[in-house]
Amino acid sequence: MRPTKILLTAALLASVAFGPGALAQDYDPGATIRIGSLYEPQNLDNTAGAGQGINEAFNGNVYEGLFTLTDAGSVEPVLVEDYAVSEDGLTYTFTLREGVTFHSGEPLTSADVKYSIERVTAEDSRSSRKRSLSTITGIETPDERTVVITLSARSISLPYNLSYVWIVNDAAGDITSAEDGTGPYTLDEWRRGSALALTRFDDYWGEAPTNGAVLFQYFTDATALNNALLTNAVDIVTSVQSPDSLAQFAGNPQFTVTEGASTTKELLAYNDRVAPFDNVQVRKALARATDKARLLNSIWGEYGTLIGSFVPPTDPWYVDLTGVDPYDPESARELLAEAGYPDGFEFTLDTPDYDPHPIVAQFLQSEYAKIGVTVNINIITANEWYTKIYQEHNFEATLQEHVNHRDIVFYGNPDFYWGYNNPEVVQLIADSEAASSEEEQTEKLTEANRIIAEDAASNWLYLYPQIVVSAANVTGYPVNGLNSQFFAYDIQKSN
Amino acid sequence: MTAAAETQAVERRQHSLTLYAGAVLVGIHVVIALLTLVWLPYDPSAMAGGRLEPPSWLHWVGTDRLGRDLFTQLMIGSRIALMVGVGAVAIGAVIGVTLGLLAAFASRWLDDALAATLDILIAFPTLLIAMLVVAASDTASLSTAIVALGIALSAIVARLTRILAKRVLLMDYITAARTSGTSWLGIVLIHVLPNIWPTLSVNFALQFGLAVIAEASLSYLGLGAPPPNASWGRLLQEAQGTVYTAPIGAIAPGVALVSLVIGMNLLADGLREAIDPTRQAR
Repeated sequence: MRPTKILLTAALLASVAFGPGALAQDYDPGATIRIGSLYEPQNLDNTAGAGQGINEAFNGNVYEGLFTLTDAGSVEPVLVEDYAVSEDGLTYTFTLREGVTFHSGEPLTSADVKYSIERVTAEDSRSSRKRSLSTITGIETPDERTVVITLSARSISLPYNLSYVWIVNDAAGDITSAEDGTGPYTLDEWRRGSALALTRFDDYWGEAPTNGAVLFQYFTDATALNNALLTNAVDIVTSVQSPDSLAQFAGNPQFTVTEGASTTKELLAYNDRVAPFDNVQVRKALARATDKARLLNSIWGEYGTLIGSFVPPTDPWYVDLTGVDPYDPESARELLAEAGYPDGFEFTLDTPDYDPHPIVAQFLQSEYAKIGVTVNINIITANEWYTKIYQEHNFEATLQEHVNHRDIVFYGNPDFYWGYNNPEVVQLIADSEAASSEEEQTEKLTEANRIIAEDAASNWLYLYPQIVVSAANVTGYPVNGLNSQFFAYDIQKSN
Repeated sequence: MTAAAETQAVERRQHSLTLYAGAVLVGIHVVIALLTLVWLPYDPSAMAGGRLEPPSWLHWVGTDRLGRDLFTQLMIGSRIALMVGVGAVAIGAVIGVTLGLLAAFASRWLDDALAATLDILIAFPTLLIAMLVVAASDTASLSTAIVALGIALSAIVARLTRILAKRVLLMDYITAARTSGTSWLGIVLIHVLPNIWPTLSVNFALQFGLAVIAEASLSYLGLGAPPPNASWGRLLQEAQGTVYTAPIGAIAPGVALVSLVIGMNLLADGLREAIDPTRQAR
């Protein structure tokens, strides 16, 4: 905490020395922003299965990428000053920004960039974007400031995918419990099980943060988290997970409630490899037997959005597909009979043990009983989910929330855990990557999206709302939280 | 009536009051549990009402987030709690009494070894042992929870049985029975068990309450009966997020749980007083 104190003192001295007029801000530039979250990272390395909490705390705050995905959803250069793409789209030449240093004091060089990208594409990397970067065939570093990436195929979303790649000092070594990034904050202390403390990095190349320090405080229980905000123990709650706690904050002038666009989708993911879920009609039948409006209302009350596919309205290739398999138990029963299951069937639903999955599972159990389908709920932990389902594909159906932005491309990967394999979609998604313009990319992905929805590849239950609640004296925080990112550098806290 | 006799009568009445109160509380739960076998207000999984409806004539304690009738869930909770209590105590009794008697009859060093093992087991909280047993089995289910709690309780029963049995074995009539050639099984059945049974049964009633609470804790932690089994612990856990908007969802299972456990403890107290030989002697 020492650096914070020094900064505070410096700010105080400045205000004394130059009088009140010298500090024109109506906020405290040395303030510590206390952010309450439910997502403590498992470790500090986003390629080592750290979970969404690490994106929340570190993306843009501690680590930066060559590009960033802004809270508004656009991709903008960060550590790249300029870049050029060859005629055939296979060679990208990036010029790095000058004067960028890591927290350890070393300057940013092209070797660090090469090292960082290779960390994500490495054999043992658990990054969800590993496959998206698999077209990279070579990374050259002709000089300290130039990185040349060659691809095996065109990849229009390379800049976007690179926004997932943290630029890490190549001399940093193991970063599962330490860091060496270029962001506006350095890691002060990680108290496992309770908090991550970040402090402003004084040698930051860009605009300095409008606060002195950030403290991510972790809670395992939403009620405790809300109480922390009520009692002024935290300033912000990054994402409210139940509408019932909002009653305490809505309409209270001491708090601000914002609802942004989320990319978190609640999914009933079938294992499309195994019977009966290898049958399109069965999948469509279950989709039609799900009263999603009622489910969304049960979980989120008045909040949240219904979706007819995996694509949220913030993605450029969104079209409203909620009409493809509307709620219709009668036709669900007919489809099941056509598929050869007139008396229904039985399956095991592997359900992660945290909210909202168990209650969603019970909802589905009750809904599907009406069409003769028996659901056996098997409660598993998040770790079991990762090994049993994500790695071993040993399941019939599961529930999961998918937080990523632009993740429809997962359906173009037949080896993904849900095992959806439609050659047409694989081709369209590959073609969309090879597109020469964003219009073409959008066109291909819109088409792929439509086919995936027609195939009822998974059962897309609803889109979470992204609700942030803060104390009224705190402003400047991201409202959308795309990819669970929570950029802290523009947050202002007034006294 | 002498003063002493009068005090005794008042005490009697107090004793029986404890016994009756306990019997009534437990009786209500037993009646409800039996009723669920033949009749329920709603299908427990039917989403019959709206989201978090307050108590009304249609839904006596309101509905949960999915619109399911909470009173129905609570009724099923009674059944599950009683099943857990009876099941766990039965398992604990069979294992515990057997082990305790073995220890009491065993040779010196085997007795010492068993006693030491039991002391170590008792040092672990019931809930912890139960969690270990559940973790060791593949999936959480109501029967694993019952077996786990039964095993956890058996250590307590075994220790008590051993002590009680040893005390009986020192009696002259046991020596007499031994010299007259009664087999050890005969001694157990004719002399030991009938003598220790009253004390044991009081203990079982207490263990019952313990088992019910432990099962609620297991379910609260997601290690008990999986959904849609409406264990009170799971109802509490599900109501936790909505405790501000619909507090009844958390209060009702809490009251149900407390009433059964208190009822069982009162019953145990009443039983103990009723069978206490020192009191009878006065």
